[in-house]
Amino acid sequence: MTRVPGVAAQIRLVAGLRWRILRNGLRRKSNRLDLIGMIFAGIFAAFLIFGVSTGFFAGTRYFLTKGHASGIAFLFWAIFLCWQVFPVLVAGFGAAFEFRTLLRFPLSLRAFYLIGLAYGFADLSAVAGTCWMAAMLLATALARPLVLPLMIVLAALFLILNVTLERLLASWLERLFARRRTREIFLGLFVLAMISLQFVGPLLDRHGEAVRRFGSHFLVYLAPLPPSLAGRAISDSLQQEWTGVLASFAGLLAFAAAFSFLLWRRFSAQYRGEELSETFAPAQRPSKMTRQERSGADALGRLSPQVAAIVRKELRYLLRNGFALLSLLLPPVLVLVFSSPFAGSRPGPHRHALSPAVFFPAMMAYIVFILVTPAYNCFAFESRGIQSYFTAPLRFRHVFLGKNLVLALVVVFELALCITVFACATGLPPLPQFIATLVAILFVVAGQFAIANWCSLSFPRKLVFGQMRNQRQSGMAVLIAFGVQIVFAGVGAVILFAGRWTQDAWLPAEVFGMLSAVAILGYFASLDSLSELAEKKKEALIEALCR
Amino acid sequence: MPDFAISTEHLTRRFGALTAVDDIHLQVAAGQFFGFLGPNGAGKSTTIKMLTGLLAPSSGRVELLGLDFASHAVEVKRQIGVVPEGMGLFERLTGSEYLHFVGQMYGLDRATTQQRSAELLEFMQLADRPKTLIADYSHGMQKKLALAAAVIHGPRILFLDEPFEGVDALAAGALKALLGRMTARGVTIFLTSHVLEIVERLCSHVAIIDRGRLVAQGSLEELRAGVAMGKAGSATLEQIFLSIVGHDGERQPQLEELTWLT
Repeated sequence: MTRVPGVAAQIRLVAGLRWRILRNGLRRKSNRLDLIGMIFAGIFAAFLIFGVSTGFFAGTRYFLTKGHASGIAFLFWAIFLCWQVFPVLVAGFGAAFEFRTLLRFPLSLRAFYLIGLAYGFADLSAVAGTCWMAAMLLATALARPLVLPLMIVLAALFLILNVTLERLLASWLERLFARRRTREIFLGLFVLAMISLQFVGPLLDRHGEAVRRFGSHFLVYLAPLPPSLAGRAISDSLQQEWTGVLASFAGLLAFAAAFSFLLWRRFSAQYRGEELSETFAPAQRPSKMTRQERSGADALGRLSPQVAAIVRKELRYLLRNGFALLSLLLPPVLVLVFSSPFAGSRPGPHRHALSPAVFFPAMMAYIVFILVTPAYNCFAFESRGIQSYFTAPLRFRHVFLGKNLVLALVVVFELALCITVFACATGLPPLPQFIATLVAILFVVAGQFAIANWCSLSFPRKLVFGQMRNQRQSGMAVLIAFGVQIVFAGVGAVILFAGRWTQDAWLPAEVFGMLSAVAILGYFASLDSLSELAEKKKEALIEALCR
Repeated sequence: MPDFAISTEHLTRRFGALTAVDDIHLQVAAGQFFGFLGPNGAGKSTTIKMLTGLLAPSSGRVELLGLDFASHAVEVKRQIGVVPEGMGLFERLTGSEYLHFVGQMYGLDRATTQQRSAELLEFMQLADRPKTLIADYSHGMQKKLALAAAVIHGPRILFLDEPFEGVDALAAGALKALLGRMTARGVTIFLTSHVLEIVERLCSHVAIIDRGRLVAQGSLEELRAGVAMGKAGSATLEQIFLSIVGHDGERQPQLEELTWLT
């Protein structure tokens, strides 16, 4: 019989496994290119974490030395919220690895639980939270050395509490998201919540005092929660109110015990072999044919059958992608939100209103960039279906035409909505600027399509509908999209301002008109080259999307 | 070579230092039910991908129905049907929508696509789930749908990579009957499978690939004749396969080496 390794050895094995998955992934050329993007993201994250750490250091020092020790609870709240909310929002930086796959090995439940906790410390938010906690400890050591022992115990308890809660939430979410429909509904709600956040600024501008009053009443209810308890333990210890310190510790221990108990139950269920897979919807009687199917009418009759088929398929995919569909609400909402503080007749306090001649093109450019970005990875949701494009009797130009046509329709629809909102909220700019902006959009969209199509072939990345975690675009594609959009924005801005400098109101429209013609010609000219490139890249494309 | 539905010359595919398919000359006559066999990693899927345009050969050429694949790709693809290794389905469509999509991709008019989709879904016993997305189909249901999509345009050659994997016995029986009728009407079927009994029952001709090289090709009778010498009675396909692929004994798993397990 073999000897089962100890828990520490198993944690080392899992860490080694994650490292090997990452290292082996870099053998692929596309992943090596991705690494560049990841390095940029890593540097950015490191700067962010260490930059914010100095803030935690300064904040802790200030609260401890200036007699505002109760304020330290805000720092605990910041760590707590970041640790618990960030993992849900951000895709994992680590290599894809299913924790539950470890269950096939001879692990005890205790080992499975401890490995689960250790695994939780590998999250970016956990690393950030730990660094910020260390900064608070350092500040405490310098400002109030006598409080340091208490702070160390408190920090250890707070870290364990946070990692336990994060794993608990993750396991609940995993259970919730095991079903596709639940995933998609949740994602839709999430997007709606994100869109709603855009209203926070304007609402605070207009109803700030009432919100602050409500907030101060609401804060009372946060007092019994872990971050507030941790903060109170520190402030009570400075005032030598040891009963309060003990009560806060007892509260924290009770939370830690409760979270640990719940997590133990969740992991026990997983350990026993909890089944989370999809179940089939009940069989239904065949529905009646739609009017279109009965009549055989074809609204896309002027397109070639292949392009029409792809357009239909893309529209169906759009309608079934809750995330994409809800994100279409974003542009008009953004116009509404930004028009309130920056433009129109009632700009926010302490701000100057921007004229529609400036605000309109700037806002439209921002919206177009948001809308066109998915084109840089236009095969993301094809999965194994990508093979159909290569086995069917068509040239790849048909695929791009179909996909670009649908995105162009979406852009037109969204812009129409946004212009309506503009007209109501701020008024439209003078006709020359209005026309120049529309023609500039034509130039930007056509120009970007050609580059985005090339990018989709060169740096494809599979994405899964309704999934938030581990959904990462190719780093190179993101960099290229970002760079291209900066260039287009720069060119557009220079041309628009050229109209002002020369005092020729129609000059930008004329220049954009010529550039648009060139961009459209370039787009159609690129399609054949892209068809050839697709043939060359088909192996990499199929491999990337069929994983 | 127009008499052959499928013909390859010096077909080779290299992945870096590895030669997955090495100088293959394959000839399949029109109307044959052709089985393509080989051990794991022998090069079966690589070959079928090159024959269907999913993978470019490193060298050599492929001719289907007398047309050079490289120079007449679209024309060739119009006349073939494929069930690729991963089935190639768009999982966010329903079965009916997917068949409509494929029908239109092959240039069928909407009425014909509509009629054929309905008949195929009925035949494959998929018609009772009109609103279920392919993502929610079982593996067997996806396989049946992939088969339906491969035949909707009435191909002259059908390439099937492990077509019966995960398909229940009832549906498999119906599918075999369908494929048999298609070959009777002159359709060429090129099939890979690890289940030798299925290949033996369905296929009239077989080729065996091993370590990237074609090591045997011919009718079942011809292959039997090659190995039946010295054996009593006619050899099964499994015996033929083992005698050709495992002939030197070094490929046979040696149980003696696993004494700690037995």
